[in-house]
Amino acid sequence: MPAKSFLLLKIFIKTAVSSWLFSPIMIHSLFLINNVGDLFLEKHWKSVISRTVCDYFFEAREKAVEPENVPPVIHTPHHYLINIYREKIFFVSVTQTEVPPLFVIEFLHQVAETFQDYFGECSETTINDNVVIVYELLEEMLDNGFPLTTESNILKELIRPPTTLRSMVNTITGIGNIGQTLPTGQLSSIPWRRAGVKYTNNEAYFDVVEEIDAILDKSGSTVFAEIQGGIDACVKLSGMPDLTLSFMNPRLLDDVSFHPCVRYKRWESERVLSFIPPDGNFQLMSYHVSAQNLVAIPVYVKQNISFFETGPSGRLDITVGPKQTMGKTVECVVVTIHMPKVVLSANLNATQGTYNYDPVTKVLMWDIGKLNPQKLPNLKGSLSLQSGAPKPEENPNLNVDLKIQQLAISGLKVNQLDMYGEKYKPFKGVKYVTKAGKFQVRM
Amino acid sequence: MPYFGSEETVKELKRALSNPNVQADRLRYKNYITRVIRYMTQGLDVSSLFMDMVKASATVDIVQKKLVYLYMCTYASDKPDLALLAINTLRKDCADPNPMVRGLALRNMCNFRMPGITEYIEQPIVAGLRDKASYVRRVAVMGCAKMHSLQPNIEIDASIVNELYALLRDPDPVVVVNCLRALEEILKDEGGVVINKPIAHHLLNRMKDLDSWGQSEVLTFLLRYRPRSDDELFDILSLLDAFLQSAHAHVAVATLRLFLHLATAHPAVQADALQHTSGALLTMCGSISRELRFAGLCHVQQVMRSQPGLFAPHYKRFFCAYSEPSYIKFRKMEILVELVNDENVTLVLEELRSYCTDVSPELAQAAIAAIGRIARTYSEKCLDILTGLLALKQEHITSAVIQTFRDLVWFCPQSTAAVCQTVEACVDCPQDSEAKQALLWLLGEHGEQISSAPYVLEVYIDGLKTELSSSVKMELLTAAVKMFLCRPAETQDMLGRLLHHCIEEESDMCVRDRALLYHRLLQQGVEQTRKVVMGPKSDPSMSVLTGHQQEPVSQWVSNFNTLGPLSAPDLCIQTPLISSPEQPSNNAEEELLPVSKDVSPSIPKDDQEELNLYLGPPLSHESFERTWLDLEVLHRETLSYTRPRTTPDTLQAALQLVKIQTLAFTPGDTLPWKAYLYTRGNRTLILAELLQEDPDSEGRLVVSVKQQPPNQHALRGFVSILSSVLQTLNVDS
Repeated sequence: MPAKSFLLLKIFIKTAVSSWLFSPIMIHSLFLINNVGDLFLEKHWKSVISRTVCDYFFEAREKAVEPENVPPVIHTPHHYLINIYREKIFFVSVTQTEVPPLFVIEFLHQVAETFQDYFGECSETTINDNVVIVYELLEEMLDNGFPLTTESNILKELIRPPTTLRSMVNTITGIGNIGQTLPTGQLSSIPWRRAGVKYTNNEAYFDVVEEIDAILDKSGSTVFAEIQGGIDACVKLSGMPDLTLSFMNPRLLDDVSFHPCVRYKRWESERVLSFIPPDGNFQLMSYHVSAQNLVAIPVYVKQNISFFETGPSGRLDITVGPKQTMGKTVECVVVTIHMPKVVLSANLNATQGTYNYDPVTKVLMWDIGKLNPQKLPNLKGSLSLQSGAPKPEENPNLNVDLKIQQLAISGLKVNQLDMYGEKYKPFKGVKYVTKAGKFQVRM
Repeated sequence: MPYFGSEETVKELKRALSNPNVQADRLRYKNYITRVIRYMTQGLDVSSLFMDMVKASATVDIVQKKLVYLYMCTYASDKPDLALLAINTLRKDCADPNPMVRGLALRNMCNFRMPGITEYIEQPIVAGLRDKASYVRRVAVMGCAKMHSLQPNIEIDASIVNELYALLRDPDPVVVVNCLRALEEILKDEGGVVINKPIAHHLLNRMKDLDSWGQSEVLTFLLRYRPRSDDELFDILSLLDAFLQSAHAHVAVATLRLFLHLATAHPAVQADALQHTSGALLTMCGSISRELRFAGLCHVQQVMRSQPGLFAPHYKRFFCAYSEPSYIKFRKMEILVELVNDENVTLVLEELRSYCTDVSPELAQAAIAAIGRIARTYSEKCLDILTGLLALKQEHITSAVIQTFRDLVWFCPQSTAAVCQTVEACVDCPQDSEAKQALLWLLGEHGEQISSAPYVLEVYIDGLKTELSSSVKMELLTAAVKMFLCRPAETQDMLGRLLHHCIEEESDMCVRDRALLYHRLLQQGVEQTRKVVMGPKSDPSMSVLTGHQQEPVSQWVSNFNTLGPLSAPDLCIQTPLISSPEQPSNNAEEELLPVSKDVSPSIPKDDQEELNLYLGPPLSHESFERTWLDLEVLHRETLSYTRPRTTPDTLQAALQLVKIQTLAFTPGDTLPWKAYLYTRGNRTLILAELLQEDPDSEGRLVVSVKQQPPNQHALRGFVSILSSVLQTLNVDS
């Protein structure tokens, strides 16, 4: 005992000195689990970790009832499980040491986005159909648990995405879907763009996409509203073009973040976006408009739901109409209501569009389509409730989905786009679209 | 085995792979290999195909190569002798003119986990470090770390370390970051990679070339660097400034952490940085990804500990949306409680009230508890809401409201009269035991203000036979005794019945003991009983806490941007549930702390309990060490005597008598003399260190105590027990 205790004291002193140690970020393994709890893919970048570690995840999954409710970080005695839930798939990563959580979460999203980018959608079926490419990607994205290549443009040169045409060519020639040469972008001075890009049609398109997040109360007044906006770019220009994009009203944007290619100093001093673009699709910037008075609410909803004290029934009456649309048409309007558990069925009449009530999930969905200001769509009728059950305590909330083409609801407008550094004349285009994000009306 | 008949499948694959016709048809051959891989990833054991797969590695098709490598990496440790056959092909590929083939081969070779592989990979790795293609260099640098992890006990190769340090100046940014990662792993035992001034500044200047992952990691490595002067510090900060606005949340937060860490001596700079990043944090809280939103909220919560006002104008951002998962809603409510001020209180309360009727009972209860917390400052408005909720007559709501009342009365005595009135008017008997306990506590503590109290109590006493929960019975005993002390005439009879029943008929030992205790106490006389039973009616020390306190940034910055704040609140941040990978598993660790699963935010009676020390599950040296290093010293005291001159065994035995475990001490008469002790009591773990530095004439014994979670009462008790033991031992010797 005495010998051991002395040794221990020595250890104490040593550890006290080096307690400032940080372990570098390391993702040991990744498990993909679908929403019914089947583990369908695993990948280990260091030693193999038994899949029994997922039992802790399944335990948390069970406790959460709904798949969305699984907490993102789960502790187990020897590992941390950090997971994201996307497109009905859990991406569960395993780390053995303390890591910055945001790093891992964002990385997992990057993995999901890469799958989406490669296969068109990120689902269990597509992942299983393309299992070989999935492994190639995972192998290339992380080495020894550290992120290696994640930029989608460069990945696509290392591993070609599957296309119907290519798979046909492959079948005939037997040539694989792998780049035989190393991406040139890896040595270019601008890491996001490869050298020597050539196009016959030089084009640059920008989509201004805005989503309104809003909560409206019963009377229609705004409890909370903000706009999440982003500019998605598709740039196919030869050589090393240097672009400058300016806005009519840049002061509108309070809170912006940019793709690394944007020169931040120019934005701060002149409020213009100056950048050498990556090749292909990328998000140029994202922004936020939260000043309440600037956020226009495009539709209003007049709704009335009541459950009768006597008899197992209730009434529902909803009307949707345009509000501040700046003269544009509101399209693709869908109203979703999560009904209380006691609602068994709905017998309704829609003046426009179709409705559908799913008695299992208790979701009433009314697909309206285009809003016609002359003839407002209305949904009216009765609800039948489980007999004997108490009348629901709380009225359900209503979610609205919509789309407005050719309008950025914040009023943001692109002024002009100039190109320097190359001689040719590119095709340019800007599109605007407004969608509903989390747009909720309380009843 | 996930599949029935899997043996058949493996046999069939084996037949196919060894069939010369299949081997001749490249496409069919590859299809079978793909199938092997698919089975492998589904957890089927296909290791018996190893020989056939090794044969398939000799091909010009890179995709087929990749697949076979993947297979071999998985099973190499099971079949090392066979894997050696593949090594030659791989080594040949390491000299291929195509850099991609070179990189691939090298990477996979390093991934083989089998004994004796090092001698084959060392030479290709060293060659790879000098390769002209950066892709190969990236792989080779990582290979150094992998090679080291294959044989961790072998002396570190100084030439490789030097080469890696030199490669920190590589033109390729990923090579630079990989060097840091590799050095960190190789030099783990020596404190990791050294960040000196030239390296730090070199890294800072390369920051903008790195990809976001690299930036995040470099920022973490830079936490180790301490600038020499203020000038240097501000140079560094201005270089970092742009990254606070990064589009990637993880970079922005990592930068903020470094900022706060570097500017420890400049609180104004820290405040400025927080202000600057608040926009980025808010954006995170509105992100499309649920997980990012959650992480954002957790970070906002931490920042609010120092700057409670920072997010108050944005309170609407923290209103819950219907479709959000509950873990986000819980955090949002916690934040709403924190940022309430005179302007927004009405709207926040209205919002919280609408959550109280949520379909999920947990959420509803959390919302009610949140209103209760706000009631400590704005009692009138909140009491109206809580009273209104009682009218809904929903079981879980009523239960939560009563519990909230109990906590409120304890923390905020001025609301007592209103609460008592409400309780009298609207409460009928709740059903769940938590609520029953809360109601009984209220009745006992404030019985004189609730005129119907004895009658409510009587209902419970009459229903005693059907009561199942022993904690309710204990609470009932306490309440009845307290009630007897203030309203003896109405209570005497029922108290008698209660005590009789609990002593004669009760089978639960705890309840019977409690009843006997009260019985004996009452025999001592009413005045004596009053002295013992009636404590303060509220916690006076808590009134200070109700206002917004501003903690210094240093309180939380050490676990900013770590997993700690994201874990569930009841598994406190301090509990390191993870053991580092090289440690053997230790079941006792999970029981490091008797974690109380109680949902109610605080158990008011905690402080009145008398201290009962107990040893509990033994603490391993490692977990003691870890806990000790994680905690702050809560109490330090110089005792008036020196260390006992007894033999170590006597000391150990004496301490064990009072349930204090000795973990380690310096043997013999060596100075400085140290001893490490631990014990448990009143839901806390107490760790202590005894230290004597100088020879006996001068030096006094210094005792330093750490505790998890802190509990002043238990701490004082522990110190007094410990010092009395030591004193006794000193006198004896």
